[in-house]
Amino acid sequence: MRKALLFVIALFTLAFSFEVSAQQRQISGTIISGEDNEPLPGVNVIVKGTTRGAISDLDGRYAIQADANETLVFSFVGFVSQELAVGNNSIINLTLAPDAKVLGEVVVVGYGSTTKGDLTGNVASVKGEALATIPVPNFQEALQGRMAGVFVESSSGKLGEGVKIRVRGTTSISGGNDPLYVIDGIPMTTSGGIGLYNPLADINFNDIESFEVLKDASSAAIYGARGANGVVLITTKSGAKGKTKFNVGIQRGISSPTRLREFLNAQEFVELMREAGENVGDLAFVESRLDRYSGWSDWRNGETDTDWQKQAFNPDAGTTNVNFSASGGDEKTRFFFSGAYDDQTGILIRNDFQRISGRLNLDHTVSKRFTIGANFGLSRTQNNRLSDDNQFNNPIQLVALAPITPIRDLNGQLYDRPTATYYNNLIDSENAEWLNTSFRNISNIFGEYKLTNDLKFRSEFGVDVFNQNEEQFFGSQTNLGLSTNGFARSRWVRVFNYNTNNYFTYNKIFAEKHNFEAVAGMSFQKSDRYFTFVEGQEFPLDQLRTLASAAEITGGESSITNFTFLSYFSRINYKYANKYLATLSARIDGSSRFGENSRYGFFPAASLGWIVSEEGFLKGNDKLSLLKVRGSYGLTGNAEIGNFDHLGLFGTSSYALIPGLRPTQIPNPNLTWEKTAQLNFGVEFALFNDRITGELDYYNKNTTDLLLNVPVPATTGFNVQRQNIGRMVNYGFEIVLNSVNVSKQNFSWNTSVNFARNINEVKELAPGQTSIPSSSSRFLNAVFVGQPIGVFYGPAYAGVDPQNGDALYYTNADRTETTSSFNDAERTFVGDPNPKFFGGITNNIKFKNFDLSILFQGVFGNDIYDGGGGFFAANGDWFDNSTRDQMGRWQNPGDLTNIPQARLGECNGCNASSRYLSDGSYLRLRTLTLGYSIPSDQLTKFKLSSARIFFTGQNLLTFTNYRGWDPEVSTDGLSGNIFQGNDFYSAPQAKTFSLGINVGF
Amino acid sequence: MKKYIITGLICSLAIFSGCDDQLNQVPRQSIDQNLALSNDANVKSTLLGAYSEIRSTFLYGGRVQLYAEMLGANSEVRWEGTFNQPREMFNKQIFVTNSFVEGTWAAAYRAINVANNVLASLDVVNEADRGRVEGEALFIRGSMYFELIKLYAQPYTAGTSGLGVPLVLTPTRAVTEENFVSRNTIGEVYQQILSDLNRSESLVPAVNSFLARNYVVAAQLSRVYLQMERFADARDAANRAITAATANGKSLIPVFLNAFNTENDSNEDLFTIQVNTQDPANDMFLFYSLPEFGARGGDVAIMQRHIDLYNQDDDRLLQFFFSAGEERTSKWRDQFRNVKVFRLAELYLTRAEANLREGTAIGATPLEDVNRIRARVSLPALLTVSIPDILNERKLELAHEGHAIHDVRRTRGSVTENAGTPNSVTFQFNDPRLVFPIPQREMDANPNLVQNEGYGN
Repeated sequence: MRKALLFVIALFTLAFSFEVSAQQRQISGTIISGEDNEPLPGVNVIVKGTTRGAISDLDGRYAIQADANETLVFSFVGFVSQELAVGNNSIINLTLAPDAKVLGEVVVVGYGSTTKGDLTGNVASVKGEALATIPVPNFQEALQGRMAGVFVESSSGKLGEGVKIRVRGTTSISGGNDPLYVIDGIPMTTSGGIGLYNPLADINFNDIESFEVLKDASSAAIYGARGANGVVLITTKSGAKGKTKFNVGIQRGISSPTRLREFLNAQEFVELMREAGENVGDLAFVESRLDRYSGWSDWRNGETDTDWQKQAFNPDAGTTNVNFSASGGDEKTRFFFSGAYDDQTGILIRNDFQRISGRLNLDHTVSKRFTIGANFGLSRTQNNRLSDDNQFNNPIQLVALAPITPIRDLNGQLYDRPTATYYNNLIDSENAEWLNTSFRNISNIFGEYKLTNDLKFRSEFGVDVFNQNEEQFFGSQTNLGLSTNGFARSRWVRVFNYNTNNYFTYNKIFAEKHNFEAVAGMSFQKSDRYFTFVEGQEFPLDQLRTLASAAEITGGESSITNFTFLSYFSRINYKYANKYLATLSARIDGSSRFGENSRYGFFPAASLGWIVSEEGFLKGNDKLSLLKVRGSYGLTGNAEIGNFDHLGLFGTSSYALIPGLRPTQIPNPNLTWEKTAQLNFGVEFALFNDRITGELDYYNKNTTDLLLNVPVPATTGFNVQRQNIGRMVNYGFEIVLNSVNVSKQNFSWNTSVNFARNINEVKELAPGQTSIPSSSSRFLNAVFVGQPIGVFYGPAYAGVDPQNGDALYYTNADRTETTSSFNDAERTFVGDPNPKFFGGITNNIKFKNFDLSILFQGVFGNDIYDGGGGFFAANGDWFDNSTRDQMGRWQNPGDLTNIPQARLGECNGCNASSRYLSDGSYLRLRTLTLGYSIPSDQLTKFKLSSARIFFTGQNLLTFTNYRGWDPEVSTDGLSGNIFQGNDFYSAPQAKTFSLGINVGF
Repeated sequence: MKKYIITGLICSLAIFSGCDDQLNQVPRQSIDQNLALSNDANVKSTLLGAYSEIRSTFLYGGRVQLYAEMLGANSEVRWEGTFNQPREMFNKQIFVTNSFVEGTWAAAYRAINVANNVLASLDVVNEADRGRVEGEALFIRGSMYFELIKLYAQPYTAGTSGLGVPLVLTPTRAVTEENFVSRNTIGEVYQQILSDLNRSESLVPAVNSFLARNYVVAAQLSRVYLQMERFADARDAANRAITAATANGKSLIPVFLNAFNTENDSNEDLFTIQVNTQDPANDMFLFYSLPEFGARGGDVAIMQRHIDLYNQDDDRLLQFFFSAGEERTSKWRDQFRNVKVFRLAELYLTRAEANLREGTAIGATPLEDVNRIRARVSLPALLTVSIPDILNERKLELAHEGHAIHDVRRTRGSVTENAGTPNSVTFQFNDPRLVFPIPQREMDANPNLVQNEGYGN
């Protein structure tokens, strides 16, 4: 559609301008689009320095008269122009490389689309194909480092779990901070799954045409009460008129952890523990424990030296992807059809992920005025899951076991407690199962009717059905089933979410200069969640694993919860003389989540833009081919609170199987959405004929009426009350730069850089309240007025007293006085989990038939708290195995070290303090793809239109000073917005090497 | 054209005008607080909710008993588990961020708030049951204040003017300035406990399934009076408890070990926390038992120094068994067993001690009561009895059941850890390190609170 339109425009321009000389030789050829390897119609072909020109036809063919010493210039909107000398050639074929960063690019926005040039807000866009071969389970991870101001972090290397996305910082303390995800017009179900399952992992991202992230108020206000965290619009692929195109791809890879830690070997462990016992006068106790932990072997002669860390990882980890698609259509009906199979075997034992998905997108032109269509997506996901990081059966917790403990006893049975220090979760591998299966159907139908040439009405109805069940079985040898002859649990959830959008779009150009577009309509959404579970124990055999075999049913529940949104929205775009742009948008949102006193909210936004380079004084200037300034201001909301948080509630509780009631929530009838007012100011530019393009944005988000779980004295019988109190700001800037470094027929090289700096600051809390210190004894994150959210606040570790080996803490903020008493330590700000800046650099290089894409991504200036340190980096405080650095402990008066004297059970420095904090900055070679496309002349005999073999590597290199496994971490054992930047036996990310082939015909 | 637009808009609005009603959704798993206390049945359900709070592992579900044993370990038991919260108590070096200390504080006040809700709604309770409902709620509130004052403040024996815990006697319906309470004195808190429990005893019946009964309340009162060294009152309360309990079928189980790990409440159990497979938590089991019974790794070891205290003929020695490298007690061996809070044996020993201290023989002579306990465990009858004899008998009979530190503190005793090693250290009954800190979270949330001695500011 877009190409056809541009073809017409190009034809039109040509009709006026060029004369053709009859004396030159005829040169002809075919122009191929580098975007999809299809013929490219409408390309301007001009003989340099003349007015002679031609335009390629629908098959991409052109013919032009030219001399041997002349040069042809090929140009087309949306592609990088190329120049070629004619020479002796009479046929010149070429491929034009796409240049995505120009004004003509179509950008999807809420309830419509626009072009990049007409946009007055800030929208980041990534085409689906850029992500197509990245071997990760969900599209969120694939987006890492590709969009300015969009921070992506996966919690660990576990498969199928949540990924944190923050658009321009964290806006809420107690409410949700994830953006709103809208797929083909339906706000998706993104939470409510069982455990920590990530419902977005159900999406096969090979089906995605584009991702757009609405970042500023002007673009997001049309999503009103749910726009404050940004909006991710996902558009699935659709068919185009023409020959049916098939595409088949296969990809396989192997994975391994990005990094391992170093733990003590048996000899070092014995040395440290004996010393720890000796120092507290209890060597005999330590030795009796060493006897116990060494099982059949003798710790004195180093018979056993088990590397428990190695046991946590799967040596056969890898990925497989097979996908197939067909698309095409005719004048009346177009289709896109796909199927895919993804299989990932996790780097951790007992962890894998498998997705089978299919899609059919259809649209049909009923008449000149009437179009209908349907998108139908279905997937099944199976995930062999692991427990949270803080559970004994998290594989990484195996590192706590002593290296003197043999894995198995002399009968070949896995050792458990008391020989193993803790539960040996390898038993789970042999005696447990934990499978999570989800079925997902995201489908919609739409109809669009042109009432007049200028006015159309569109109606959409979509459903997102998320069905999930989890089957857990822990056999009679596992810690959960040990004394009960096994334990099993079956959980089911169904989230039925439906949505309808109905809106008018009016579009007219008045007096040739006034472009006017208006959108107005309504939407309604309802989501119902049904949850059921049953659990039981006492199984006759470990082979009988379903609850039908449980002799004793010990628990069960069914629960129902729901929410609704009723909304009215409108947007008006006005453009004068292609230079001056203005947009007004607004939404009224009502929701069942808000208290009766404030059920509806109004969210307006306005923006202005000026394309300076269209003015006479700049027009036609090659050096500055584009200069556009734009600004926006508006209000958006955050409604991600619990469904019934405004009510004063009594919940059920039972005692001795008798039902009871107890208060669970303090009422707040005024509870409402958080309000974020955002100012955005941006400049877009293009230099040297679009060789260098860029965007620079400054934004300031001011969030008021924070949904805050205000800590209240526990003497009230409650811990928190949710109130609309407080204020937080996020401000910063974003830079996007794209350059075409080389653009030749056989060699092109583009670089794209994005970079964002966000500053978060809590401005106000409840009246009279200046802080919410950490509610955890093991983690330090707090909220303070004047500080970024989640700031690390706690005792500052002052190292070790050289005289006696005591751990020391500072007693004053100036850090001049120290104490060895933890309770007397002064709590101060010791670190910040929020990155100071983050970004990515992508280099795309094409050389002849080779293509190379390299993405480096980095996060800088944040700290990570290693919560497991109190166990494995506590100078032999207990029998957990220690990291190797603990061997540097204080031993003799005068020793200068940061590691206190080993003292069994005395917690000499093991408490939560800045001791376990370190710099979490990293730079990572996130994705590297090297491909080779088989030349088309060799393909024709196989009747193929394209064939490409490629290598894709993910997380190949990581540069960091972080001491833990992996700096991209946020333990899943903690929830909420405050507890960020913590590691707690969290799995490292996967490093994957993969090979694949893609064939089109 | 305009006509079409307007018609279209009106149509679409008409179709969805019903949507506005959809904005009124109600929760399906909870009810509004006003409904919850609106009638007889609901208030009684809320009373049950208060039991479910004191059932928490932070309270009678096991931890308050564990705390007493760790603080009073006295080189007779040792914390060997990986949880550092009990280890800090065992070390007498508790950190203000100790999450058990914080959890027990919050759980006790949750239970108090539920009880206060019930007490504020008595007018809708059927008149016939009103007294019982009030009495049970008062038992719960009084008991919670008693557990709090024993852990978070100096003992009564160290003076009544010291800082106790805040008294909250009305339900929380909204958070206002009044909720930022200050600490009452130890004396004030004890007065409130006595007032709650005395009235409770007069209201609750002798038969009330496994919930509060008049002899349970009397038993709790006897503990309160012992802490206050009001021995005559302790004696009378214990005597009332014994009289009412035995009249209702309670008696000592003939074989000592059979009094433990029972499927249901035994005749000897006056009050327990009900545990079943659907509500399985019993933290004394969890920390004292072993993996083969479904527990943790055997976190509490019994030291030889303790075992040596028993006479070699004492049947109570049979509770000890060797596993996972240490001696263990089987009092908490099995999973899914009720958590024992009051056993009849305790009351005989309380009555004996109080009678002897007062020079009386109410109910029975001290000698009779002590010998009743000794006879069961195959020990020869004593001919004469002294206070140390009774205290010793009490210590061995009730060992590992959550009494250790409380008996030390009321008798102005001491606790010695690492005995027999160069690191031996003794804590007097009023040592600040035997008192929990006010949790840091609470100090942060309520600026009106004052921290206990030795825990920073």
